[in-house]
Amino acid sequence: MTHILLRGRDIPDIWKYDVYVENGGYEAFKKALSLEPKAVIDEVKASNLRGRGGAGFPTGVKWGFIPQSEPVKYVAVNADESETGTFKDREILETNPHQLIEGALICAWAIQATAVYIYLRGEFWDVAHELDKRIEEARRAGFVGQNIQGTGWSCEVYTHLGAGAYICGEESALLNSLEGKLGQPRVRPPFPAQKGGGLYGEPTVVNNVETLANVPWIITNGAAEYKKIGTEQSAGTKIFCVSGHVAKPGNYELPMGVTLRELLYEHAGGVPGGKAMKAILPSGGSGPIIPATDAVLDTPLTYEDMSKIGSILGSASIIVMDETVDITWVAAKVTKFFKHESCGKCTPCREGTYWLDKVLDRIMAGQAQVSDIELIDNVAKNMQGVTLCALGDFAANPIIYTIKNFRDDFMQHVQKADIKPASKARQAAPAGD
Amino acid sequence: MTNTVRIIINDQTYDVPAGMNLVDAAKWYANDDIPVFCYHPKMEPVGMCRMCLVEMGTIEKDRATGQVVLDENGQSKVRWMPKLQTACTTTVSDGLVIRTQTQQVQDARQNVVEFLLTSHPLDCPICDKGGECPLQNLTMEHGPGVSRMAFSDKMRLDKHVPLGDLIFLDEERCIQCARCVRFQDEVVGDDVLAFHERGRSLQIITNSEPGFDTYFSGNTTDICPVGALTTADFRFGARPWELTEVPSICPHCPVGCNISLSTRLDRDFGGKTLIKRVMPRQNEQVNEIWICDKGRFGHHFSRSEDRLEDPLVRERSGRLFAKSWTDALAAAAEALKAAGSDVAAIAGSGMSNEDLWALRQLLAGLGSRRLGAWPPTHAGAEVVAQVGVGQGTNLGQLGRGDAVLVIASDLEEEAPIWRLRLKQAADRGAFLLVMNARPTRMDDFAAQTIHYETGEAVQALLALKDSDAWKQLAEAHNLVIVAGAEGLSLDGSRALAGAAANILLETEHVGKPNSGLLAVLPGANAMGLHYLGFTPAATLDIMQNPPKVLIVTQADLLLDDPTAAHWLAKVETIISLDLFASGLTQQLAAVALPIQSFAERDGSYVNGERRVQRFYTAQGPMGQALPAWQALSRLGEQLGQGTAKLSAAAVMVEIAQNVPAFAGVSFKELAKVERQYPDVGGKDLYYGGTAYRNRGGLGIQIPTAADQGQTVARFEAAADEPPKTRGKLVIVPSVRLYNRERTFRPSALVHARVPEAYAEINSADAKKLGIQDGDTVEIAIQNAPALRVRAHVNGGAPKGTVIVPRHLSDTAAPLAVTVGEVSKAEG
Amino acid sequence: MALSDKKYSQRIEAAFAKYPDKRSAVMPLLYLAQEEYGWVSPEGIQEVADLCDMDPTQVQSIAGFYTMYSEKPKGKYWLQVCTDLACALRGADEFYEELKAELGVEDGGTTEDGLFTVEHVMCLAACDKAPMLQCNFHFMENLDMDKMRAWIAEKRAEAAKAKK
Repeated sequence: MTHILLRGRDIPDIWKYDVYVENGGYEAFKKALSLEPKAVIDEVKASNLRGRGGAGFPTGVKWGFIPQSEPVKYVAVNADESETGTFKDREILETNPHQLIEGALICAWAIQATAVYIYLRGEFWDVAHELDKRIEEARRAGFVGQNIQGTGWSCEVYTHLGAGAYICGEESALLNSLEGKLGQPRVRPPFPAQKGGGLYGEPTVVNNVETLANVPWIITNGAAEYKKIGTEQSAGTKIFCVSGHVAKPGNYELPMGVTLRELLYEHAGGVPGGKAMKAILPSGGSGPIIPATDAVLDTPLTYEDMSKIGSILGSASIIVMDETVDITWVAAKVTKFFKHESCGKCTPCREGTYWLDKVLDRIMAGQAQVSDIELIDNVAKNMQGVTLCALGDFAANPIIYTIKNFRDDFMQHVQKADIKPASKARQAAPAGD
Repeated sequence: MTNTVRIIINDQTYDVPAGMNLVDAAKWYANDDIPVFCYHPKMEPVGMCRMCLVEMGTIEKDRATGQVVLDENGQSKVRWMPKLQTACTTTVSDGLVIRTQTQQVQDARQNVVEFLLTSHPLDCPICDKGGECPLQNLTMEHGPGVSRMAFSDKMRLDKHVPLGDLIFLDEERCIQCARCVRFQDEVVGDDVLAFHERGRSLQIITNSEPGFDTYFSGNTTDICPVGALTTADFRFGARPWELTEVPSICPHCPVGCNISLSTRLDRDFGGKTLIKRVMPRQNEQVNEIWICDKGRFGHHFSRSEDRLEDPLVRERSGRLFAKSWTDALAAAAEALKAAGSDVAAIAGSGMSNEDLWALRQLLAGLGSRRLGAWPPTHAGAEVVAQVGVGQGTNLGQLGRGDAVLVIASDLEEEAPIWRLRLKQAADRGAFLLVMNARPTRMDDFAAQTIHYETGEAVQALLALKDSDAWKQLAEAHNLVIVAGAEGLSLDGSRALAGAAANILLETEHVGKPNSGLLAVLPGANAMGLHYLGFTPAATLDIMQNPPKVLIVTQADLLLDDPTAAHWLAKVETIISLDLFASGLTQQLAAVALPIQSFAERDGSYVNGERRVQRFYTAQGPMGQALPAWQALSRLGEQLGQGTAKLSAAAVMVEIAQNVPAFAGVSFKELAKVERQYPDVGGKDLYYGGTAYRNRGGLGIQIPTAADQGQTVARFEAAADEPPKTRGKLVIVPSVRLYNRERTFRPSALVHARVPEAYAEINSADAKKLGIQDGDTVEIAIQNAPALRVRAHVNGGAPKGTVIVPRHLSDTAAPLAVTVGEVSKAEG
Repeated sequence: MALSDKKYSQRIEAAFAKYPDKRSAVMPLLYLAQEEYGWVSPEGIQEVADLCDMDPTQVQSIAGFYTMYSEKPKGKYWLQVCTDLACALRGADEFYEELKAELGVEDGGTTEDGLFTVEHVMCLAACDKAPMLQCNFHFMENLDMDKMRAWIAEKRAEAAKAKK
């Protein structure tokens, strides 16, 4: 198939303004401008597009929450792509940037926003500086700025660089960060869409890059066409980021409903070296880990089917692990990540990630007892569902699900402890913290 | 009437005001203490600590009919949320249902306590907070009892981080609740604390210069729910359970903050009762639960080396000799007898009402009514008595739709807690207009700032009517005008108070709560001086027509007024009743009688809002010092004026019988308390911090004439003539909170924060005089020794004006606005 | 004041022009301070505080929260190696160990010549191109130690040349 999002794969120069326009670029925006904002929202609602950042919230519904009566409204584009194993937004930003800008502008028109802020993770330094040039091109063409296309509506588009904080991918933390504050999640309600809850207190739509990049296609081709792709509850294509032990790691844009098996074996080339696939993290570090059983591999990649097997579609960043991988090491590795990225606001997450990391270090060093496995399992469970944002749950998942699904891996470490208490395990914990 | 909503807490139904925070509502109405660490009733909720998790749901209603849906048992059906919710981030709403005692809730609380304790040092045995620690208390109540955290896994952090001279941080004890950070930001407006790093590395830092730079830093130690923040004053000073709390009133400014003196019998004080620390005592109408650092750390003067401990009599040689009370009183009586009625008194504003009454009675017995108030810098008390803020005023209630005008005062320096509360009023939406001849800190919080020419406060006030701000003031629901006297003569300050009163009368903002005049008078009992007949005008008269015998009580004439030596030279005999041996006592007094400070005896003050407030005996006496009222009435006894009173309470009975303003006031009435919202200071120290429950009384606010329904006539408010400079500069004395007054100097821990004596000079004037920033200059005024200070050429002073803060050096700065010459000092 | 240098004025203006609130410019301005001083030095903190009308404590707080602001001086080349899970599955841990050994520094350390600072970081969104790193925020991907040795030698040669 041709790509909806990763069009750079089909038309390598589409990142250039002229090439983008030659291939129908900004026509969707023009069409949207000829429609009432509400009609645009309705079209997106009808398309069943769901948020691609991980939560899967219906995009049109989100836009519909914005109170039209407020004079100042914002669109914040979440390009803080920081989840372990996720690198899809980067490819859109690098190879098809105008489509994101166009999608964001359509959203801005639909909610009558006064400005769009594209929040990029700081490490996208070069990406952001290139994107600034693309925005400038759109401005010169009259798609950004004052009285856009003679509609009387004005809207600015700006980039904002983060500076190294995973938590800023959480929407309220992202807004705090944009406001020059610590990137810590806010108390909700008020929600970003509400007065008092958004950027500078104004109603704000926060959408992921991939989500918005779908929008021009939907406007051009219509919701009905879009829904023909994928499944009923999971419409459209999805970019699957495949990494880890596969022959061809990378992004694969495929209709939702493709099975894990097809994705990992047919597209990504399977596990190299003839090894068996042991486990899959289907949504980066934060999603529940699952054993690569036949049943799992035959699961269609949709929101609904992934939850049936006790995992999630999330951001669809799929990390593959072959049979040589010690899952305890994975738990320790991912825990280091969440310990490093916990913002520190909520007690269970701040203290829990530190505690889990300490015990896992001891487990990896062969200095732990069986009871330590129960301990971290319990500590992780005590972190679930009690924090302001989802990071507490994200940090708990790697422990709970690795123990649930790969308990034997843990037992090997504590059994070693009985023989050689002080020995270092092969897989040293990641350096430092 | 506020709207009420119906909520259900643990199966009981309560009607509570709409918009109330759930933690507050549960506590106030259901007596249900939902445990918290980060939540504080005086600050916005942040939902960080997760201790207040409860089961929460709503009563299900049929969408079509709006009727409550019933279950099979006929009970209203509750739609429970799948997860526990934080009570602190919940505002009550109709149909809200919570459960706070279920197993699920108890488990969640236990888990949060366990998480908090993982890296906590548990060094309670050496922790200042131990015994009054929210974490300790909640651990006992909700904690798991055993630790699952390996001891070797605990974090090791710095336990002695000075955030400034006054506050220390123990990083190990901190539980990252951000109460201190939020207090500085939300309540104070000095956002000099912040978190650094993130996750478990989160630590409190300050980057301010000097460190932790605010007048309110001590409050962070009260609201800190652990022993992470401690004061340099109390650190390792005593265990909370050894302390006896004595209710008192801060003696430093007109706010009259209610304080609690934590005392114990102490080896270092000869086994006598000693003040170990000063804590805030809740009085929502006066200081809520806050005090400034001067109030908190400024108690050391009560036992300073300089305290006068024995009666002294000056002999012919000119030397002072210690005498018995009998001999000293006899010497004083002899001088008074010889003077007949040619006697006058000057009383400082640190004197209690009882002292003032005794002094007034003494002079009345001698046939004199010359009662001077010290310092004679601020008129306006008489106007406050007419149209002061109405009875029941609570600055904490000012907000949207209300207006506040602050004029001719540097409120942060003169009355810090008023500044704090008015800043919050502005945050709540009150229109704050700040007017002064120079920029002040208050400008930062103002909606509008007007800078007028030096001395032209009255003109500026009169001109307001033609300005845009007028509508905001005139149409405000409530209007409070706060008038100081900076840059004004005594007549000028009287005119300013009058002009302010006229605005209040004209806009009908008198005789009702939360509206009226506040005068920023000097000292703790300036209103008491007024009600008991002591006036600054009488002081000016005494200065011009000195009596034969002058009785000076608790007034630093020589340190306050550079011309005092000049005019006192004409007084034959000075009888000094003082706390200190230095100054007037040492240099000029014929008889010096040692009196007790506020800490050593009972008494009462009237604060700037006219609230009569009682303080209690806290500290052991110094030497032979007596309460001033007692010394004075014993002196009266010597003069045949009848037997001396036996107690301060008895003196108050006499005041109440004779002074209409005090009608109905008695020590018993002053001691009355009622439950205050928010309900802090109970067992549950975690709710409001360690601020103390008020057990000493809320005081009685004296009604104004307007409160009593009397018609108040317009006031004379003719603008003051600007001082004739004749080529000289206008010298404007100003107030600095931290200074070298004898009542503050002994608090050594604040010394580093007291600025070196300086004067602010306009850059144009400085250029003309060849003065540069940092130069030493001499300021010369008539009849006074030259004052040497450091020149600050920093944009603070208007052209032609030199701002000279008082009490920064041993040489007195000018008492009132005057003219003088400034020159660069040699060498 | 060094951010007052003309070369920054346009970028400072642009930063303020983006937002309705001065405080929002704190992050872009901290990057400028880092560019000027090589790290967010106390001078840089104070200058940003003055520009944004913030207390320096708040600026320090921002600098401390976000890991791309360095509160310590760094080498000329700040190498941030991703050792997160996806990269580690493709040998990033071993790559990082070898790189440190090659440069003779510990995690977070700077080489004696002041050229290279090395530290490990979390996911950099380049999991399919591991081992990888960012050098002064620019991606270097699909690395191996041979490539790194050549690159290090090149940078050392450049530095030696510049010295002469």
